[in-house]
Amino acid sequence: MSDIIICRCEGVRLHEILASIEDGANSVQGIKKRCRVGMGYCQGRTCQPVIREVLINKLGSNPIDRTSKIQSPIRPVLLRDL
Amino acid sequence: MKQKVIVIGGGIIGTSIAYYLSKNEVDVTLFESKDIAAGSSGSCDRAIMIQSKKPGPTLDLALKSAEMYKTLELELEEDLEYRKGGGMILIENEFELEVIQEMVERQNQAGLDVSIISGEDAREKVPLLSKSIIASTWWSEDAEINPMGTAFAFARAAQKRNAKMELNYIVQGFLIENGRVVGVKANNENFYADGVVVCTGVWTKSLLQSINIDVPIVPRKGEILVTERLPKVIDCNILSGSYIASKLQKGNDNPYGIGLAIGQTKSGTLLIGGSREFVGFDSSTNSTVIREIAKRAVQAFPFLKNVNLIRTFSGLRPFTPDNLPILGEIPSVEGLFIAAGHEGDGIALAPITGKLMAEIICGQNTDFDMEPFSIQRFANMKI
Ligand SMILES: Cc1cc2nc3c(=O)[nH]c(=O)nc-3n(C[C@H](O)[C@H](O)[C@H](O)COP(=O)(O)OP(=O)(O)OC[C@H]3O[C@@H](n4cnc5c(N)ncnc54)[C@H](O)[C@@H]3O)c2cc1C
Repeated sequence: MSDIIICRCEGVRLHEILASIEDGANSVQGIKKRCRVGMGYCQGRTCQPVIREVLINKLGSNPIDRTSKIQSPIRPVLLRDL
Repeated sequence: MKQKVIVIGGGIIGTSIAYYLSKNEVDVTLFESKDIAAGSSGSCDRAIMIQSKKPGPTLDLALKSAEMYKTLELELEEDLEYRKGGGMILIENEFELEVIQEMVERQNQAGLDVSIISGEDAREKVPLLSKSIIASTWWSEDAEINPMGTAFAFARAAQKRNAKMELNYIVQGFLIENGRVVGVKANNENFYADGVVVCTGVWTKSLLQSINIDVPIVPRKGEILVTERLPKVIDCNILSGSYIASKLQKGNDNPYGIGLAIGQTKSGTLLIGGSREFVGFDSSTNSTVIREIAKRAVQAFPFLKNVNLIRTFSGLRPFTPDNLPILGEIPSVEGLFIAAGHEGDGIALAPITGKLMAEIICGQNTDFDMEPFSIQRFANMKI
């Protein structure tokens, strides 16, 4: 169970996310910084809700505070098309 | 009894100081309002670039720090993605060549054997470089590191030596008795110590204002583009000479302070920066700036046209008016120390800052002239 992949872009597994929270991470940002979850091609579009849920499960409190802010671009874009 | 010290701020500077203090057998508690590397140290580039530093106190400090980085992975027993791949400053026209030539001469006089190589030689080192690059500098000693990883590693190494990392603790003020700091107030609780060191980067000014100490540190924003993962295409640190030249060119206004800086992370993404903007604490990214940086990147590396941008971010550099960090004791309050204001060099300067500050806080002699970094230099300045 702790071996299931949460973030496919970066190949991050559940136990790495749990270890990040254990290490003191208290936000999606904090987990990202510790294990690269959500930092890949899709920028956490798929895995962020799951990470948020794990966080709330472990630490409780307001899910809004714990979200990672959305940074442009919304989707990958070729540098020549900017 | 062990000396007890409180470190405020869990960026690369605070965690480095906590580590070197813990190595000196000090009882350390670090208070961080959010998380390790939640500030500038988690939203920056990864260069330990020495060749671009002006000869003088910062260059001397940076050289010592670069030396320490060479063995830091061994010392902290962690992979910090350290690589000494060298560095180049790209030259696109005759004017830039002239400016950079003068700069290289100054570096040579200061003892750095930076050289200027031809466009062909530059393309030999970095094959995807544009044909429009006529020359570049080269110095094999420039290096890079994962800055977040390094801050976390310093924190963990300090914890192994019994330092405490108190995350989610906002320091609200200082406890001062008879002109001496005896602790801090954090999350509405008092904590006592023999000394306190302030490592709060761009937030230092407002924190020290609470005890009427004026610190002229202001945020200077930098925006960065992140591409999709690529195979290894860039193996060294790359800056463009146009930013350096534009500062000397009249009428060449560069309102966003854009200067190209490119490097590749271990995971394969390219980090493409950057800008230098005084816009207070606004950390949003600006599409005009992003577009302009992308344009310059494609100019220098035409293959980038077909590469995907996946993310942009911005960070705040702790800028001081004379571009030197503020390091040392604050004379008006005994036991209160500051290590902040490293602007765009904080990653490069972190190990030496930690080591020197630990020595100063423990009352040891440092083998480095700290005078140029003293907060006293601003005493007569109208801020
Ligand atoms: C875009 C960009 C690119 C850069 N590139 C490079 C580079 O290539 N090489 C290089 O050497 N440098 C680079 N820098 C500079 C470098 O990032 C900074 O100099 C360095 O991170 C500063 O570290 P710090 O620990 O002083 O500050 P920070 O990392 O900001 O740490 C300060 C910490 O203090 C905490 N804090 C604030 N107030 C309080 C409070 N009241 N109580 C408790 N905690 C508090 C904050 O949450 C924060 O975590 C770059 C910077 C930017 C913005």
